[in-house]
Amino acid sequence: MAENATAQERLFALRAQIARLEGKSLPALAAAEQAQAAENPECEKAKIKQLRLPFGIDPLDVALEGGLPLDGITEVRTRLMGDAGAASGFTFALVSHLKGREVSGGPVLWIGDAVSRQETGAPYAPGLRQFGLKPHEVLYASPRKLDEALWLAETALASRALSATILEIRGNLKNFGLTESRRLNLRTKAAGRPLFLLRHAGEEEASSASFRFLAEPAPASGRRLPDGTMLGGSIGHPVFRLTLEKSRNPAPLSFLLEWNPHDRQFSLNSKAGEFLSLRTPPAHSGTGLPASADRQDRTPALGHIVAFERAS
Amino acid sequence: MRLTALDEVSERFGLRRGQGLAEARAMFPAIDVVDEDEAADQALLEAIADWCDRYTPLVALDRPDGLFLDITGCAHLFGGEEVLLKDILGRLFQMGFDAKGAISSSPGLSWAVCRFGRGGVIPHDNIEEVLAPLPVNALRLDMAAVSSLHKLGLKRIGDLLSMPRAPLARRFGTGLLQRLDQALGLNEEAISPRRPVAALSVERKLADPIQAEEHILQLTGQVAASLKPGLEARGVGGRVFELVLFRVDGRVFRVLVRASQPLRDPKRISSLFSERLAAVHDDLDAGFGFELLRLNVIEHELFKASQGDFTGDGEGDASFADFVDKVSARFGASCLQIAELRQSHLPERAEDFAPAMAARVVGENVEEAFAFVPKADRPLRLFRYPEPIEAFAATVPDGPPQRFRWRRIVHRVVRAEGPERISPEWWLDGKDTEERDYFRLESEAGRRFWIFREGRYKSGKAAPIWRIHGILA
Repeated sequence: MAENATAQERLFALRAQIARLEGKSLPALAAAEQAQAAENPECEKAKIKQLRLPFGIDPLDVALEGGLPLDGITEVRTRLMGDAGAASGFTFALVSHLKGREVSGGPVLWIGDAVSRQETGAPYAPGLRQFGLKPHEVLYASPRKLDEALWLAETALASRALSATILEIRGNLKNFGLTESRRLNLRTKAAGRPLFLLRHAGEEEASSASFRFLAEPAPASGRRLPDGTMLGGSIGHPVFRLTLEKSRNPAPLSFLLEWNPHDRQFSLNSKAGEFLSLRTPPAHSGTGLPASADRQDRTPALGHIVAFERAS
Repeated sequence: MRLTALDEVSERFGLRRGQGLAEARAMFPAIDVVDEDEAADQALLEAIADWCDRYTPLVALDRPDGLFLDITGCAHLFGGEEVLLKDILGRLFQMGFDAKGAISSSPGLSWAVCRFGRGGVIPHDNIEEVLAPLPVNALRLDMAAVSSLHKLGLKRIGDLLSMPRAPLARRFGTGLLQRLDQALGLNEEAISPRRPVAALSVERKLADPIQAEEHILQLTGQVAASLKPGLEARGVGGRVFELVLFRVDGRVFRVLVRASQPLRDPKRISSLFSERLAAVHDDLDAGFGFELLRLNVIEHELFKASQGDFTGDGEGDASFADFVDKVSARFGASCLQIAELRQSHLPERAEDFAPAMAARVVGENVEEAFAFVPKADRPLRLFRYPEPIEAFAATVPDGPPQRFRWRRIVHRVVRAEGPERISPEWWLDGKDTEERDYFRLESEAGRRFWIFREGRYKSGKAAPIWRIHGILA
């Protein structure tokens, strides 16, 4: 009897450890929470609200298990430097959305990269204001080296004084690998403040980010006229083509997301006809290998292994 | 060329300052001559003055080869004037300087006794006795006055003291009497210290020199703790702190940190220094160690005490200020900036950056009421310098281009909004500056750009230049 109890104890401890590693709540605690939630739904909602940043779009929030984590890293990457507008737009939209929900006070820290600043410009305060972020709410840091940027990010998270930190980097850097990302992730967990990693022109790489989006530009929605119709040829609210590359959900999601800066709200752009779809198939039909979905990295496209001649 | 300084041996041979070099060479062909380097002499004097900070904060230079120390209220800390003077001269001797010193109630008297007398501590009651046998040169007079005094047979100060003052003033001007009064201590003479005196200052003398950074920081924390009562008594907190480290061999290091808010907390003060020391790590050569450590409060401000509550909500502001201070101490104040809106239609002048340290209230909305709010959309990212682009097939006179090439890539424009005409600020840029027509463009790929045309299409003139100024989300 006693042996049985000890075994149970060990089993429970192991389960708890695995749950902690995976960032989930304990199975027993989760069951208790569910029971509580059934009794008092408001309380449960409030709890999720504290830890997660929902988009307010049901299919997306389900895929994200309630929203972006407020105590973790969210990565936004682009394939090309030229897509920096979409990626920074989406990141600032996320931060603005976060500020709009008043989850936590304090300014936002932008840790910029010197080369990206020359390539695609520096964040512009009047533009940010139209995006929903007031000028005095954003601090700009301009570190000279990556070490300094990482130190800044870590200190910012540890201080808990900033409601969000955005770290802008360029490409896949040797000095910013899994170790550094794990270290930052631990900081975010301890501080309960989010870190948004904006990676320009970068490949997918293993990191501690809870979610990774691939941001690509998409045609903006038109300006809405008072009678509800769209003004043809106008450039209205920005739209981003996003692919959720890394998440617990095995199937990568691709969708068009529209940001409304006035209401600080996201909405799915249904006009383009693309609602929620799988990612685009690889460019070369020769890739017959099955996509390994539940990995941190997927099989590279065939073109990476065999150099095809350019068709045109 | 003349001799300006001599060493002990050559002095013994009978060479004098001011003697011609040729004459000296004729007398002693074997002498070594080194060119005078005034800058180096000056630097050495400054370094010694720095070192003398350990005795008093009021150290003044007496060029070219002297220092004035105002030791009012300091002597007792070293065990009296005699001991203090012995200590200074002894330490200077150890470093290899042949220095003379005197302590008296006035700078003029000390100068005279030091250079023409035996030095030492001069008691208050027999100033005239000490002064009387000294030559008139000891009064810091110019050469003309000295030589005319000599002509009249007035060779010693004692001769002047016994004379009536009015004829002296008429014959030699008031300068002589002023110097005489200064030497006698009748006329107050102020020395001009090199550095501002710290409002508060605490120091720790070490029997055993320390070298390690963590020891310095630990000690800084302890010293800062003893600074706290002083700050509390005045109701202030420090904004600028200076850590002065005296190395065993006489070199002095000064580390300055600034805080964005008045500080009292020893922990936060020493954490500022820990960031700063990490930044200046390579410049701080500990050598054989530091023997004296002093913490100065250079600037202080009224401390707004706020009562903490049990929930700990009030810590947000403090930790934010702490973060700003840490970053500024490590990477400099310009690393962390905050944008302020300005009243200008020109995009590049509509924002201005200030160090987050200087912006005292980050959370408050001060500028908002005055800022100009553009009606049209502004880009999310702005180039510091607008980059030229090649625009093709632009609608003349004031339409957007159909295509444009930027950084060797041709973008096809699908949608365009504009123009938004922005006139130049002639009061700053002059009258010849062209106006700008801004367009928001969307390319085929969905990228959005903010471009402008500088000037207009005019017949008979070159086509205006197109530039890209920003990127829209």
